Amino acid sequence: MHTIRLIVKNLRRNPIRSGLTALGIMILVPVVTLIWSILSFLDAATEEKASNLKAIVSERWTLPSQMPYSYATSLSEGASREPDDLRPEDSMTWSFFGGSLDPKTRTFDNSLFAFALQPQKLLTMMDELDSLPADQKERFGKVVDKLASNRQGLILGEDRLAAIDRRVGDRITLYGLNYKDINLEFEIVGTFPVGRYDNSAAMNVEYLLAALDAYPTSHSGKKHPLADKCLNLVWLRVPDRSAYETIGRQIAESPLYTSPSVKVETASSGVSTFLQAYRDLIWGMRWLLAPAILVTLAMVISNAIRISVRERRTEMAVMKVLGYRPNQILLLVLGEALLLGAVSGAISSIATYVLVNNAMGGVKFPIAFFGVFFIPNDALWWGLAIGLATSFLGSIVPAWSTRSVRVVDVFSKVG
Amino acid sequence: MNLDDGNPIVNAHDPIVLVRNAHRSFRRGNERVDVLGGLSLEVPPGEFLALMGPSGSGKTTLLNLIAGLDRPDQGEIFVAGDKVSGMNETQLAAWRTRHVGFIFQFYHLLPVLTAFENVELPLLLLPLSARARREQVMTALDLVGLTERVRHRPGQLSGGQQQRVGIARAIVTDPSLLVADEPTGDLDAKSATEILDLMAELNTSLHKTIIMVTHDLRAARRAHRTLHLDKGVLVTEPDMSLYEAG
Repeated sequence: MHTIRLIVKNLRRNPIRSGLTALGIMILVPVVTLIWSILSFLDAATEEKASNLKAIVSERWTLPSQMPYSYATSLSEGASREPDDLRPEDSMTWSFFGGSLDPKTRTFDNSLFAFALQPQKLLTMMDELDSLPADQKERFGKVVDKLASNRQGLILGEDRLAAIDRRVGDRITLYGLNYKDINLEFEIVGTFPVGRYDNSAAMNVEYLLAALDAYPTSHSGKKHPLADKCLNLVWLRVPDRSAYETIGRQIAESPLYTSPSVKVETASSGVSTFLQAYRDLIWGMRWLLAPAILVTLAMVISNAIRISVRERRTEMAVMKVLGYRPNQILLLVLGEALLLGAVSGAISSIATYVLVNNAMGGVKFPIAFFGVFFIPNDALWWGLAIGLATSFLGSIVPAWSTRSVRVVDVFSKVG
Repeated sequence: MNLDDGNPIVNAHDPIVLVRNAHRSFRRGNERVDVLGGLSLEVPPGEFLALMGPSGSGKTTLLNLIAGLDRPDQGEIFVAGDKVSGMNETQLAAWRTRHVGFIFQFYHLLPVLTAFENVELPLLLLPLSARARREQVMTALDLVGLTERVRHRPGQLSGGQQQRVGIARAIVTDPSLLVADEPTGDLDAKSATEILDLMAELNTSLHKTIIMVTHDLRAARRAHRTLHLDKGVLVTEPDMSLYEAG
C-alpha cells in the first residue's frame, strides 16, 4: 500500500511528463487494437471449424466462378441421388448482379453490387444474419418477407443507401454492368441490420432469372451471354467434417458436373483463397506495423522512465542509505511504469471499444468480402496487456540501472 | 566488548564505534588513491564527536565506513557491537535502518512526500503497525518542534525546517548512532545555531552518540571532542587556518 502510494506520488511529481507518456500509450494502444481486431476477425474467418461447417461449391478452373443455373437444384441437395445419400442441412445459391444508376457515367457512389439469392436464405445461411438477436431477427424477417413477396424488391445496407441518396420505398433502375443489356427496376424494401452488410445489396434471384429468360424475346431469340453462367456459388450447411467430406465426394463423383466441373471447399478455405490477394498487406500489418507500434510504445515509456531515474538518482541513494534494498527501489521504478502503462492502456482500450463499436459503427476497412470490423470483447483486456508488456519492456533496463546507484558516489561531495 | 569470538557483547563502557586499522582506497582512472591509511578510532557511547579536515582528507569516507555505507579494504569496524565491516549489502541495508540515523547537508527529503511521510519512510521497512508508526513519527516531529508542519511538503518549508524534518527522520527508528554530514553547511547562522542546539539536545537528553563531519569551527565547538583528519590519518596539530569560524 505504501509502495503504491509512493508510486502514485512519484507519477504526480511531473504531471506533464506522466501525462504525455500516458497520452502516447492512449494513442498507440487503439492503433494496435484496431489492427489486432481486423487480424483476429480474419483469423476467425479462416479458421477451420469442426462443426456446423459451410461448404462452398464453385467452378473448378475459372475465376470468377460461373456455373449454369441448372446446377443449382442438384447442388443444393448435395448431389444426392440415392435415398441413402447424405443431404446438406441447408443451402443457398449465389448470383451477383452489378448495376449502375446512371447508364452513361458509372461511379462508385451510383453503382450497386447485389447478391441475387433466395430471400429466406438471408436469415438461415448468411454469416451473422443467421444469428441475429431475437428483436433484430424479427425486424429483418419482415424486410425479407417483403423481398420474397416482391420480386423487384431490393435490400440495401445503410451506407449504400446513403451513398446513392435514396430512401426505403424509393424505386430505382439499375443498368447492368456484368449483365450487359439487362436493366432492372427495383423497389427498395428495407435495409440490412447495421454492421457487416452496410455496403451490401440483396435481390430476389427469381427476378434475375426472369430477366435472363425474357432476354431472347427482345434480342432476336439470342440468349444472354451469361444465361448459362449465372450461378456463381452454392453454399451448403453440413453438420460436421465427416458430412462435409461425404457430400464433397458425392459432388465430385457426380456425372452432372462435368462442363464446367466444380470443386467443394470449406468457407474458411474459400476465404483463405480469397485473402491470398491481400497476403502481403495482412503480413505487413501482423509482423511489421503492429510490432513497430509496440516497440515505439516501449521506447516512449523507456525514455520517460530513463529521464525520471536520472533525475532521482540522489533520492534513490537516500532511500538506500535509509535501508531500502536495491530490489525495492527497482520495484518502485518498475511499478511506476507498470501502473502508468496498465491504467492508460486499459482506459484506452475501453474507450476504443466504446467509440468504435457504439459511436462509429465499426471500422470501415474493406478487405475481401468484409467491409466493417468491430472491436471484439476480448480487446477490452488488450490495452491492459499491451500497457503492462510495453511498460515492462521499456522500463526494465532503466529500473535495473537503479540497482547500481552507489550511495558513496552520491555523498562524496565533502571529502 | 569481546571482539575475538565473533559474537560481541556490548556493555556501557565499551566504545559504541570501534575502527581498527581501516584502509580504504579508490581508483581514479589508472591511479590508486589511498584515502584512509590504517586509521583507528574509538567513540564511547553518548559522545558528540566532530570530524574536521581539509577536502579530500577522508572525513566522509570514514563516516561512510562507520555508517555502513561502504566497506574497508582492510581493517575492522564495529558499531554497537556489530561487525559492520563483515556484512554484505543486504545485511548492511537492514542494519542501517535500525542502528544509524543520517543527517545530510542538503536534507535530501523526498519532495513528493509530506514531512510526516518523509519521517515515516524508514519505518516502512520495519514490522510496525500503522498506529505504532504514527506514534513514532509524531514523537520524532515533536522532538524537533515540527508538529504543526506534518502535512507540509519540503518545498513549503524553510531550510532550517527541512533540516529538522531530516533530523526527525534520522531519529525516528531510535538508532544508537547519528551521523551528520555538514548538517549546518546549507543553513544561515540562525538556523545553524538552532540545528546545533537540537543536536546537542538529542545528545544530552536522549544520549544519542553523534559523529558530525564539519568545516565549521563553531559547529565543532558544540561537540565533546574534535578529531582532525589529514591525508587519511588523524592528526594532533591541525592547520586551523583551513577552517571557517562559521
